[in-house]
Amino acid sequence: MSDPHLSGNSAVIRLENVTQRFRVIHDRPDTLRALLTTFLRHRVSYHDFDAVKNVSLEVPQGQMLGLIGSNGSGKSTLLKIIAGVYRPTAGRVRVEGSVAPLIELGAGFHHELTGRENILLNGLLMGYSKEEMREREQSIIDFAEIGDFIDAPIKQYSSGMHTRLAFAVATEVDPQVLILDEILAVGDDAFQQKCFARIQNFRQAGKTILFVSHSMQTVIEFCDRAVLLEQGSVVADGDPTEVAGVYHTLLSARLHPLVHAGAE
Amino acid sequence: MLIADFTRLPLLGGRHDPDLETCALKELVVESYRFRQLIWALALKELKLRYKRSVLGFLWALLNPALMMLVLTVVFSTIMRFGIPHYAIFLLSVLLPWTFFSQSLSYAVESIVSNGELIKKVKVPKLVFPVAAVVSNIINLLLSFIPLALLVGAMRHPFYPTWFYLPIPMLALIIFTLGMTFFFAAANVYYRDVAHIVQVVLSAWFYFTPIIYAVDMIPPNRQWLFKLNPIIYVINGFRLAVYYGQLPKWPSVAASFICAFVALFIGFGIFRKYQDEFVFYV
Repeated sequence: MSDPHLSGNSAVIRLENVTQRFRVIHDRPDTLRALLTTFLRHRVSYHDFDAVKNVSLEVPQGQMLGLIGSNGSGKSTLLKIIAGVYRPTAGRVRVEGSVAPLIELGAGFHHELTGRENILLNGLLMGYSKEEMREREQSIIDFAEIGDFIDAPIKQYSSGMHTRLAFAVATEVDPQVLILDEILAVGDDAFQQKCFARIQNFRQAGKTILFVSHSMQTVIEFCDRAVLLEQGSVVADGDPTEVAGVYHTLLSARLHPLVHAGAE
Repeated sequence: MLIADFTRLPLLGGRHDPDLETCALKELVVESYRFRQLIWALALKELKLRYKRSVLGFLWALLNPALMMLVLTVVFSTIMRFGIPHYAIFLLSVLLPWTFFSQSLSYAVESIVSNGELIKKVKVPKLVFPVAAVVSNIINLLLSFIPLALLVGAMRHPFYPTWFYLPIPMLALIIFTLGMTFFFAAANVYYRDVAHIVQVVLSAWFYFTPIIYAVDMIPPNRQWLFKLNPIIYVINGFRLAVYYGQLPKWPSVAASFICAFVALFIGFGIFRKYQDEFVFYV
């Protein structure tokens, strides 16, 4: 994982001119019959669009970065590129150290398996060994407050229990980089407090955190830096309060175009 | 629906993983070993879900072939007489490996698509899914030989020392199955028809393979046609060892391994080439 360009540089995540292009095929032929039809007609209708456009970003060790932007602005795509789920169409990606590669918490859960089995499976999916997961099992169960339900299939869990377990698994495994995508919207207040306490511990331990949220208040309160994405490009980068301000201006300009035009 | 661009922008290096610059087969072995615990857990999950909520649970892995054997024995010893002594053993010695092959393929062809939600969210080597599907069927294959051994005992068919040869054709069969599995699992990501085609191909393939009949029942002028069937060599090894108590001739063994490795090279080669695109199609 060593890179001569990065030695002496504290950037844990470095993106250089990253572009992720998707081809949107209108009614993609996903059966052979449809393929034959389109082939005979000599016509495939599609358009390309770049979900992430030429983004360059460096995140130093220990920073908590808030990613903000409206739906479809490319936040999740960017996170998936960093997590290694997508290989970008163009550009360079460097991520040092282990990333908790879960975009959505509990992505690896199978509802027929018990909580205990899911802890193991999820850990293995994230690249940890069975032994490492066995060691952490009890503290995961304790943190998630699952109790006796741990040996029941997780389809019987309440959504709160599900999220608590997922959060516990993702954070107990001690990744270098933690990706949190809109997860704190669920769970009751008491558990949210616990989550934030844990996130604070992560920060104190010098971990890098990528945090996606639509709650500007949370971003301002917790993040060291915020990045605003709009249609796949970085439009603002810096102090969370200022970036949140830019975002609000952007939103209100979109909502009340006439008011703004009149003001200018 | 979102899919990736095939005509990539000029790659400015992309994500360059030096570990991937090795040959395909080495990558397969190294990655499978690195993720062995995950593969094993996925295989066990598969079995667990298959026998979930059944009273007898895992016992079905044993009972299923045992009951099938009982039916076959009754049918072929009383109703349809072929004039082949101990026909049930004759049949089962190759039907069990065939069942492994066809079940692995049926399960694994969907393995990438059915794990699509996972692939979209977690960075995980794609090969673990087809491999796990095959591994879960290997467990079934090994278990199914227990009732076969019991049947051999019950019918007073001799236990030949050539039983000890069985790991060799099993190895060739597993390699061949993996190769086919990789190819069809990858193809099914792009065209979901593949899963249905596989079923048709498997049932046709079954009748064109000497499973219910013997190789020497094929008319001599058609023998060459059957020699093109890549699975015939490995299947033959099972029958010779269990039923006839003979070892296959070395060209036949060589042919079985050549077919197996050719299937693996092509199958995994294609799988590996397209695996980074899967996430856009599942």
